[in-house]
Amino acid sequence: MKRLQFQKFIFYAVLLLMTTVYIGPFIYQFFISISQSKDVFGDPVKLLQPPNWTFQNYANVWVDLPFKQWLFNSLFITLVQTIMNVFFSALAGFVFARLTFPGRKFLFGLLISSLTVPVIILLVPKFIFMNNLRLVNTYAGLILPNLITITNIFLMKQFFETIPKDLEEAALIDGCSYFRIFWQIFLPVSTPALAAVAIYTFQGSWNEFLWPVTLAITSDKFTLPVGVGFLKNQFQSDWPLLMAGTLLITLPTLCIFLVFQRYFVQGVAASGGKE
Amino acid sequence: MSKLTTCWRYVLVLSIVFTFSGCQSTDTKLTRLSGWSSNPVEEKLVAGVLADFHREKPAVNFKYEPIPGNYTEKIQLMLGTHTAPDVFYLRGETAPSYMRFNVLEPLNQYAADTTFRIDDFYPALLKSFQKGDTLYGVPKDFNPYVLFYNKAMFGEAGLTHPPQNWKELEAFSRRMTKDTNGDGKPDQYGLVLEPTIEMIMAFVYQNGGDFQKEDGTLGILDKNFLDALEYYVRLYRTGAATIPSDLSAKWNGECFGTKKCAMVISSGWLIPELRTNYNDVDWGVAELPVGRQKATIVFTNAYAMPKESIHKKDGWQIIDYLTSQDGLKSVVKQGLALPPRRSVAQNLGLYNDPVKRVFLQSAEFARTFQTTLPERWYEEASVALQMIYFDNKTPREAMEALNRQIESGILQ
Amino acid sequence: MPQPSTRQRDMITIAWLFLGFPLLLIGLFVFFPIGYSLFISFFDWNLVTNQRTFIGLANYTRLFSDSLFWKSTGNTILYTIGVVPIQTFLALFLAFVMNQKIRGRSFFRAAFYIPAITSSVVTSTLFIALFSKQGLINQLFGLENDWLTNPNTAMLTIMANNIWTTSGYFMVSFLAGLQSIPNSLYEAARIDGASTWQQFWKITVPMVRPVTYFVLVLGLIGCFQVFDQIFIMSAGGPVNSTTTLSYYVYVNGFKYFKLGYAAAAAIVLAVLIFSANQVQNRYFKPEVD
Repeated sequence: MKRLQFQKFIFYAVLLLMTTVYIGPFIYQFFISISQSKDVFGDPVKLLQPPNWTFQNYANVWVDLPFKQWLFNSLFITLVQTIMNVFFSALAGFVFARLTFPGRKFLFGLLISSLTVPVIILLVPKFIFMNNLRLVNTYAGLILPNLITITNIFLMKQFFETIPKDLEEAALIDGCSYFRIFWQIFLPVSTPALAAVAIYTFQGSWNEFLWPVTLAITSDKFTLPVGVGFLKNQFQSDWPLLMAGTLLITLPTLCIFLVFQRYFVQGVAASGGKE
Repeated sequence: MSKLTTCWRYVLVLSIVFTFSGCQSTDTKLTRLSGWSSNPVEEKLVAGVLADFHREKPAVNFKYEPIPGNYTEKIQLMLGTHTAPDVFYLRGETAPSYMRFNVLEPLNQYAADTTFRIDDFYPALLKSFQKGDTLYGVPKDFNPYVLFYNKAMFGEAGLTHPPQNWKELEAFSRRMTKDTNGDGKPDQYGLVLEPTIEMIMAFVYQNGGDFQKEDGTLGILDKNFLDALEYYVRLYRTGAATIPSDLSAKWNGECFGTKKCAMVISSGWLIPELRTNYNDVDWGVAELPVGRQKATIVFTNAYAMPKESIHKKDGWQIIDYLTSQDGLKSVVKQGLALPPRRSVAQNLGLYNDPVKRVFLQSAEFARTFQTTLPERWYEEASVALQMIYFDNKTPREAMEALNRQIESGILQ
Repeated sequence: MPQPSTRQRDMITIAWLFLGFPLLLIGLFVFFPIGYSLFISFFDWNLVTNQRTFIGLANYTRLFSDSLFWKSTGNTILYTIGVVPIQTFLALFLAFVMNQKIRGRSFFRAAFYIPAITSSVVTSTLFIALFSKQGLINQLFGLENDWLTNPNTAMLTIMANNIWTTSGYFMVSFLAGLQSIPNSLYEAARIDGASTWQQFWKITVPMVRPVTYFVLVLGLIGCFQVFDQIFIMSAGGPVNSTTTLSYYVYVNGFKYFKLGYAAAAAIVLAVLIFSANQVQNRYFKPEVD
């Protein structure tokens, strides 16, 4: 029995250590974000003392930087991409799950096989393409390429295949159109899958870096990660400001994650992973 | 079927509306002016001068759009993607690649106006933005390398004047390098040099060498180049000088400010640091010690216009104002920039200022360090210097490697 | 009642109608670029001047004679070899721990998962602070290393960042796999007196092999493409010690404006990933009965 107790103790000790490793840095980030520049790299204990705290850094991020503009851009791009992804991946998933047409298997296989193509190979051609359309440094250019994600189609298809066929067969006999079946029968029962796709896309779009950093040139088209990424060069030593800025970027995804944790985990487990 | 078509139409309209709602391309009615933004103070300063311009020429509709992050790359990207601003800052060091790509508007015609007085600019600055006789940029400010020295340390060592030549530089530096606590490591150095190609080039120019010669061939294996480089490296290897990283500093100005050394080669950007962060240092500036000839490196920026711009007339009005007596005066008065026009410096009495005088005089023999090599040469040069400083290669070995790398054509 | 054949035709029309917009986008932004990329790689194509000249395979020969390209390839492989096994093992380990009867499981699970949902820009900036000369890591361990400017440790720091962010993510994949293992197996083992540790090696590891394969594939693809962290934390430096192939592609395309050359490098990277996947399929793919 004693040995078991000891094992338990070790187990929780390891667990606690791991937890520190995984969220400790964020706590450090938070304390730097409310500290004054001079305390940042001094004695770490100083960071924990309330008299040294200040929320001025957050005010500075908001007032001195084009943070509002970047926030708007990020929100706009992310929301459009999320809504479109949810709608179109459900639509396409429905087709692949329920409709039969020549070339369906081939098409689906083709889509899935493209998942292993590295994103970086698409960068140069996509950029040239956007340049020819004169869409460099525009919202359209930033949004269009990520309106639909193949992983999401896959996820929706998997989910729709689990829905029993009786309902739609009855509806078909009643002369319902496919769009109505999709809209009135499939969508209402697919909340978990739709939520997973939405959350998943939101997080991906919000954090996307490679495409906006390449396509957005002027500050007024930056997304938050790009803007804050460049701040690093400009405010090299102003760590409290940088940490406040980065913490603010994290908040939306963090909140969504904490609220919808269940769907997150389901989504990852079902799709098996990121692109 | 009808229901489906309604739905589908709805989706189509939605997607089209959305697609084009995002399409607002860059505003074409305004004349856009862009520069880097090194700090908010500078941005406000520029905005202030532009407000003056607006009062004077209300007919010109313009917008100031500072560009954060990798400026040089961004501007070139914008030129390539037809989104370039109508007037933008151009760094002297990067000017050759723009001129090579033939994307800039020649300015000779505009500048020919007699009231503009192009001959008032320091010739060394103009030269940085010329290809042949064609002018592609109007200088806006400049910063030459000068020697900063700590007066107290000089006094302590019994030195009465800053070093005049290479020999004195080495001797003085040795005299002021000392180990006061006896741990075998000096805790005060005479001189801190940076292992960067720009700083080395000041010595190369003084020695009559060049990185790339007039005919475009490399000069890094020539005697004049190698002698200067060897002198520079020897200062480090024999302990007469050190480099910032050996003192755990980010740059040599930090070493100077924290009184770890008596001399550094630096420029205008060190002055605000000394005034705000290290105000207990008693410092002076002098022209660089002279080699075979007087020379120094100058960092200069200009205003340029893209060939593609559709607002060239208004663009020129902006340039004209910003580089006029009034425009320059207000920038110089508020900040620390040096005016590219000799007359402005004279009118403001800058030649009577013991610090600014040194900078202005240096402009007479200064040169911008430029090459017409493909962009990657700079990274390769840094790698070659790393080989010297961190891998213990001889300067000749490193330059031979660099020469091979550039000649191989891989960088093209 | 409509005729079956009409119904069939209807279905086909509707299928294409529904798929139209998604397929158009995927075609434009995934499939077309793949082919276009190959086309571009045969040109000397300058982004600034928009001039292009056909030069055949010259970009590839130049690529193979560039020592920096080989260094980037080496760095990429080193990075992948360093990250993938550790991240996979750590993810499995975390999943195993999460699968035990513990109090506050959802709290711990969330804690491990948070780095995975955080923007790479944020985690990278955070790591610069943590691993800077006067940062917390040095303070905690009494070191004086400037992790990211020291050529010997810069890559290690970036690897640590990736392991830290992805292990929680893959933990969730493993968790799903673990939950499908019948409890009776563990019970039988416990009766035989197997310790927790033995259960982990003898039951968990073999049973989650399909998930492991999956995680290895995804991990490898991700590692081969590492970009954000390099961009923010080191910009390929010091002395090119962290220049990976993705970063090399980006720099050549958008700093040196050699689009053809960048496209060629990207294609080589794609081939490399493809071959690595083939190797994985050969040696790690679980047999399907």
